[in-house]
Amino acid sequence: MSIPASTIDLPRPRFRLRPIRVAECSMLLLFTVLTGLPLLFLLTGSFNLAQPGRAAMYGFDNWLRAFSDPTTVSALWMSFLLSVARLVPAIIIGVMFAWLIARTDMPGGNAIEFFCWVAYFIPDFPLTLAWILLLDPNYGFLNSLARHLPFVDGPLFNPYSFWGIVWVHTSAGGIWFKVILLTPVFRRLGAALEEAARVAGASTATMLWRVTIPLLSPMILAVSVLSFIRGLQSFNTELLLGTPAGIYVYSTRIYDYIHREPSSYGEATALGSVFILTLGALLFLYWRFLRGKRQFTVVTGQGYSTLRVKLGKWRWVALAGCLFYIAVMTVLPLIFLIIGSFMRRYGFFNINSPFTLAHWRNLLTDPIFLLSLKNSLVIASITAAGGIVLYSTVAYLLVSRRTVAAPLLEGFCWLPHILPGILLGLGILWLFLATPLRFLFYGTVWGIALALMVSDSPVTTQAFRAGYLQLGPDLEEAARVTGASWWYTYRKILLPLLAPIAGAVGLMNFGGALTSISTPVLLYSHQSRPLAILLLEYSVTGELERGAALGLLITAMICAMMLVGRRLGLQLSGLQ
Amino acid sequence: MAQPVLEFRDVVKRFAAVSAVDGVNFSVQRGEIFTLLGPSGCGKTTTLRLVAGLEEPDGGEIHLDGKIVAAPQRGVFLPPEKRQLGMVFQSYAIWPHLTVFENVAFPLRVRRESADVIRLRVNHALESVGLGGFADRGATQLSGGQQQRVALARALVYEPAVLLLDEPLSNLDAKLREQMRFELRALQRKLMLTILYVTHDQTEAMTLSDRIAVVNRGRFEQVGSPEEVYEKPATPFAGEFLGRTVALDGALRKSGGAPSIELAGGGRIVLGGHLTDSLHDGAAVRLIARPEDIEILPPAELASNQIDATVEQVDYLGDRFEYYVRGAGAVFVLSSPKRDRYPVGAKVRVSFDPNAVTIHPR
Repeated sequence: MSIPASTIDLPRPRFRLRPIRVAECSMLLLFTVLTGLPLLFLLTGSFNLAQPGRAAMYGFDNWLRAFSDPTTVSALWMSFLLSVARLVPAIIIGVMFAWLIARTDMPGGNAIEFFCWVAYFIPDFPLTLAWILLLDPNYGFLNSLARHLPFVDGPLFNPYSFWGIVWVHTSAGGIWFKVILLTPVFRRLGAALEEAARVAGASTATMLWRVTIPLLSPMILAVSVLSFIRGLQSFNTELLLGTPAGIYVYSTRIYDYIHREPSSYGEATALGSVFILTLGALLFLYWRFLRGKRQFTVVTGQGYSTLRVKLGKWRWVALAGCLFYIAVMTVLPLIFLIIGSFMRRYGFFNINSPFTLAHWRNLLTDPIFLLSLKNSLVIASITAAGGIVLYSTVAYLLVSRRTVAAPLLEGFCWLPHILPGILLGLGILWLFLATPLRFLFYGTVWGIALALMVSDSPVTTQAFRAGYLQLGPDLEEAARVTGASWWYTYRKILLPLLAPIAGAVGLMNFGGALTSISTPVLLYSHQSRPLAILLLEYSVTGELERGAALGLLITAMICAMMLVGRRLGLQLSGLQ
Repeated sequence: MAQPVLEFRDVVKRFAAVSAVDGVNFSVQRGEIFTLLGPSGCGKTTTLRLVAGLEEPDGGEIHLDGKIVAAPQRGVFLPPEKRQLGMVFQSYAIWPHLTVFENVAFPLRVRRESADVIRLRVNHALESVGLGGFADRGATQLSGGQQQRVALARALVYEPAVLLLDEPLSNLDAKLREQMRFELRALQRKLMLTILYVTHDQTEAMTLSDRIAVVNRGRFEQVGSPEEVYEKPATPFAGEFLGRTVALDGALRKSGGAPSIELAGGGRIVLGGHLTDSLHDGAAVRLIARPEDIEILPPAELASNQIDATVEQVDYLGDRFEYYVRGAGAVFVLSSPKRDRYPVGAKVRVSFDPNAVTIHPR
């Protein structure tokens, strides 16, 4: 019965290097360096009085200096105020759009939903630029028009103000993001639940008030909290519109600290630490809240509703309202961005031959532009490709039962969520300055790509994890049992099956890398300047016409990419 | 005895603190269908995955085809791709991005066979599972039964040492399941396959297996031919899991003549001698019998091995009646042919066959 012969040839020695353990350890190491260390530097750097890279001296001076400055506290307060002020109109309009599209017989609902999806990807910086062209007190087109109205003496609108910032945000991606998120939820709300209310004798209004809204309120609240947190991380619009008016939020304040001569890293990190802790606490509460509400979302997940509210003749009014909002908030600024890029001097329609191709010609022949374009494409490609490789591996480790340190790894993946672009940039800048990594990464396209890759980690990892969970372990194990090595299985089975997800997140991250300003703004050098930073420079130095051309170019690149992605059948909207 | 193809020696597998496989020993001979039968979560699938190399054991040794493939104490673990096994998953795990042909060809491509060999052997494998004309279909265009055949063809195409089947029929409807069971048995005989089969379905286990292992909580309760396991269950669990049982508690009486059981609820069953060799007089025991070995008789004087009972409920099942009968302090379900009819509340006699009962210590 026994097999003595088998004990002689042992296939392997006692100690075995399990590949999965190696992968796990290297990922943990990588995240420790790329996410853990920057965060640590941010949190401890505020107590370090020396410049990064020098011998450390510890003390509370940075905190004292930062918080004895009244503008620091007011910047934090302003971040909060702005986020709340833009949240309220955005939620109301977002819910209206979603309800009209999903639950009423308003004509053209699908077309409007598609538009929301496109509008979501229009980068916010060119849009801000467009609103400057429209609303600037000196040459803004709408202000010029308004001067012809009776009783108007000075400029009617001023974008460089609190409400100017709120207004521009109301036209940017945030609103469309809410529509994209809420429409499917409205649609999925179990038809039976509403039909039951109808059968029980409820009118449309009663049904909405007593059944629909209470059922959807947890989801609306969740989207609100998420939007609020995202609002706190905003940078571009605040920089462009707030700084000229002396309105600082914490992110532009940090930018300001670093761009001073000499840079005040200590104060910047003190401010950053406060913010990280606040954001961490908020996200924790959000997560707790979502967990508690899970049973609610289950209720809404059954079957599609065919029951639509009949608006009667009001459906045309509703459609007109939606179209008007879209026309004013998106189409109008884009048109003026186009006009602006062709005007000799923006706002001066009365001079001889006001239109010119010079800005486009100058832009496209500018060696700085060409270098920046190359940089941007390199950065975006590295970010997208690196993200796919890195986070598909991490997600694999997270779903595998063999992984020992999955919770730790998952924690690392979520960390960038509490690091807005500007703070991540600051942390990584610190990492480069304080470690030998600077020789490889400081001021290079690789450094910027690395930072962008880190910031992509939560969403990308989640997307891949969802993909793996959907596939299940059987398809992979079946390949292993038939004799395929892990690497062969990965190439022939997992990769082809995950290709749609990889393509979608790749495109998203590519687009994100093209438009991101806050992450690279502290990391670039003249040699590695990307397009978005060039756009920032044009805007700050007042070359609005050339900026408009560049902004359009970036917008066109993003839109083309997203349309190609949709043609390829990638589920882009479902990822966020 | 010939050298077994597969052998487990004291294999242990834990998940956290729970032992999914708890010191299991067994061996499978060449050309045999060996079935692991048990409820879900009993460790039978984990046992199969240990064979496949999809799980690493925490203790013991696994031998496959005369080689050690896993022995944690010696630091030996052969990954699944080196074990030359075929496996059919419960979900079939047909790769949706490949055609039927490419699914089946995959194991051969891994082994870098030439295109001619691949075409020949894939077509042969597809023929043998009755999917001759389906080579160019997309895998997702197949019905459940066809997917199951593709999975089987894929597992057979390179003639594995052992074929591992993880509840391969559980996702099919009843009629198809019966047909596939028959075909599987025929295929196994034709190709002289060695099969390790996992199921929770006792009919599958009874009809397909050469030997059955009844698995419960990570332990093997009994290993034997279907007949042995059914007729002589080694434990109450084995008896209950394989078919219906009637269980009555009582005390063993060995003094004076043939050993017998004094039932707790009254009555007395006289036993054959060998059943109780290991038990002492007065031991608390449980008697297990199959309902089909128990007869319902009209009320009369009690003969030996009979007890009084009352009919509590009658179900009409078309071809027979099922009686819920209370006797000796317990309620049990017996079926009876249509010619005998007893109304609810009727007094009856229940007669046991002393050669068809097993006795287990409590």
